[in-house]
Amino acid sequence: MTECSFGITGKDFVLLASDQSAGRSIIKMKSDENKIRQLSPSLCMAYGGEPGDTENFVDFVERNLRLYQIRHNIELAPAPASAYIRRILAEAIRSRRPYVVSLLLGGYDKIKDESHLYWMDPYGTKVKVPYTANGLGIYVALSTMDKYWYPDITREEAGQLLKRCIDEVKLRLAYQFSFNAVEIDKDGVREYKLDGSA
Amino acid sequence: MSRSYDRALTVFSPDGHLFQVDYAMEAVRRGTCAVGTRGKDVVVLGVEKKSALQLQDPRTVRKVAKLDDHVCLAFAGLTADGRILIDKARVECQSHRLTVEDPVTIEYITKHIAGIQQKYTQSGGVRPFGVSTLVVGFDPNDVKPRLYQTEPSGIYSAWKATAVGRSSKTVREFLEKNYKEDQSRDDTIRLTIKSLLEVVQTGAKNIEITVMESYGKITELKNEEIEEIVKSIEAEKEAEAERKRNRTAAVAQTAAGLGRDPSLVQTGGAGGVDSGAGSTESGHQ
Amino acid sequence: MEAISMAGTVLAILSKEGVVMVAEKKVTGKLLDLSLTSSGGEGLEAWTGGGAEKIFLLNNNILAGVAGITSDANSLVNYARTAAQKHLFSYDEEIPVEMLAQRLCDLKQGYTQYGGLRPFGVSLLYIGHDPIHGFQLYHSDPSGNYSGWKATCIGANNSNAQSLLKQDYKDEITLEEAKALALKIMSKTMDSTKLGSEKLEFATMTLDPATQLPLAKIFRSAELDELLRKYELGGTSDSEVGVGQGTGGGSGGDTSISVST
Repeated sequence: MTECSFGITGKDFVLLASDQSAGRSIIKMKSDENKIRQLSPSLCMAYGGEPGDTENFVDFVERNLRLYQIRHNIELAPAPASAYIRRILAEAIRSRRPYVVSLLLGGYDKIKDESHLYWMDPYGTKVKVPYTANGLGIYVALSTMDKYWYPDITREEAGQLLKRCIDEVKLRLAYQFSFNAVEIDKDGVREYKLDGSA
Repeated sequence: MSRSYDRALTVFSPDGHLFQVDYAMEAVRRGTCAVGTRGKDVVVLGVEKKSALQLQDPRTVRKVAKLDDHVCLAFAGLTADGRILIDKARVECQSHRLTVEDPVTIEYITKHIAGIQQKYTQSGGVRPFGVSTLVVGFDPNDVKPRLYQTEPSGIYSAWKATAVGRSSKTVREFLEKNYKEDQSRDDTIRLTIKSLLEVVQTGAKNIEITVMESYGKITELKNEEIEEIVKSIEAEKEAEAERKRNRTAAVAQTAAGLGRDPSLVQTGGAGGVDSGAGSTESGHQ
Repeated sequence: MEAISMAGTVLAILSKEGVVMVAEKKVTGKLLDLSLTSSGGEGLEAWTGGGAEKIFLLNNNILAGVAGITSDANSLVNYARTAAQKHLFSYDEEIPVEMLAQRLCDLKQGYTQYGGLRPFGVSLLYIGHDPIHGFQLYHSDPSGNYSGWKATCIGANNSNAQSLLKQDYKDEITLEEAKALALKIMSKTMDSTKLGSEKLEFATMTLDPATQLPLAKIFRSAELDELLRKYELGGTSDSEVGVGQGTGGGSGGDTSISVST
């Protein structure tokens, strides 16, 4: 699938970036589609997969997490939210109505003061990772992340690393992507400016 | 279907009443009082809060619930029933967003709540909900404050200002007398508190005020703020003591004409059984 | 409600370091064999504990004490344990205490509203810990109401115990003081003068010092007796434990007690 997203964690933040293309096969119909959804005050999902499935799936997850929150007056922390999302995927793929969606889930646990990043595929695999890529980014950017990421990485360095990854995508891939990104920390979710990376 | 008809708990009496619904209304009348008031661009919910017992955790004593970002609900009656109804409404709020990608309008969710309540007066094998609710909020992309009321029978109606629960009649009469169109935020809050003071003897510590000023902007007044307003209201009353006395006498007269002495209602209410959070709850279902 | 006010008292006290729960067990007869009732213990061992009568472990982080019709209570405990596991299954985290209390109350409310069913004749106290609100104590009644407390009690003599609690509870109470207070009040409200493990169940919810995870402990009879001796409130000596010395309970008019503990 022609899509590409990245996630990088630091001690107290997570960066999530996603391409903004919408289309089918090799045809691009739009290059400013937002494919990162805020699910709760400090939880975001960068998603890709079968168009249509993705929207249905993300809407469903968003509304259910909101329901949980308003019912119990508690925000679902990233770890239990990831377990919940994984279960939806895992059950759907084994039903008559599968969701073909893969995603990166980034969030900040305000109680434990931890940043979380998860990688999930349509089969219901879930991996907790410090940094990762999804879609075409896997082929060109993981080695860059391996080289530059370290546990105490600062926001500036993480931003630079994200830029390196995006540059790598531009250099190596035939397909032209534009990107948007968000930054998640204890204060919530903010748009993260990717200067001149489009 | 015939089975569920056989098992219906709510059946007509010869004179056309539904006793179970009447009993549910009685449960509401014993619940703590809740008031809703609409101003020009604000809507205020005030509730009589049963004071948390000394060793109780005040966090768990709730009478006003958020249904969604832009809708609040207060209820009078059986607490457990209220919780279940609120839960159903919350699910509908999110489900509505999921289906049509829009938040619910206040009338829509009121109609939904009333619909559930109606269903429980007619279906087999169930009893009605022992709660009346006040639903307030702002419709998406609209600046008009909304206030609705639902009853155990499933009736719903829009109001400028209304009250449900214990002594709601007294409060509503007070509101009818003192309501003015297009009141400011502060005046609306003041009117709400004033009307509640008609039935709440213990003052600020047993009053909870929720203010909605626009779509999604909900604030709960702090105890000190309420206390301040209560104080200023009392001061005002003091200043107008003479006029006030005359008025009370007049009210007492009219009330006596209706066979009801307001002072009796008030003292009776204060000492009476409170279904708000009481343990005697199951006694009057 | 009536069944509950006759039932054995359950009392719980919240402190910063943990929660204490103590319950009065009605010994129904001299020949009741207590030697087979399970022993209790800490953490996972607590699953085997509770004497299967008053105090139950609902989840690793939640203990409950029941007062009312025992068979109803058993079915509620079963439901609660299932609900807790369902939460674990969906969210891979221990269920928050209030959520479990709320689950049970929704069920109880349903039984008051739907025809053909009678309400559950059970009040419960829940003590537990979750990362959201720390240590917590909740009370729920048959109508499906619940509320949070710092210290409360249900069952026989509960108003008496309640006023004692109001008198002696202070916000900065320590776990040790809470244990002592719970047992002291229990000794005052129970009919018999001398407390012993055959008449009480005792449990705590604390944090494991090593892992900082919730640690449930249902006291074994020997441990409870030791505690009672420490506070000089009685305690059966080791040689007597498990024989069910009939130190009270099973007198003549107690025919109804076998249904409501």
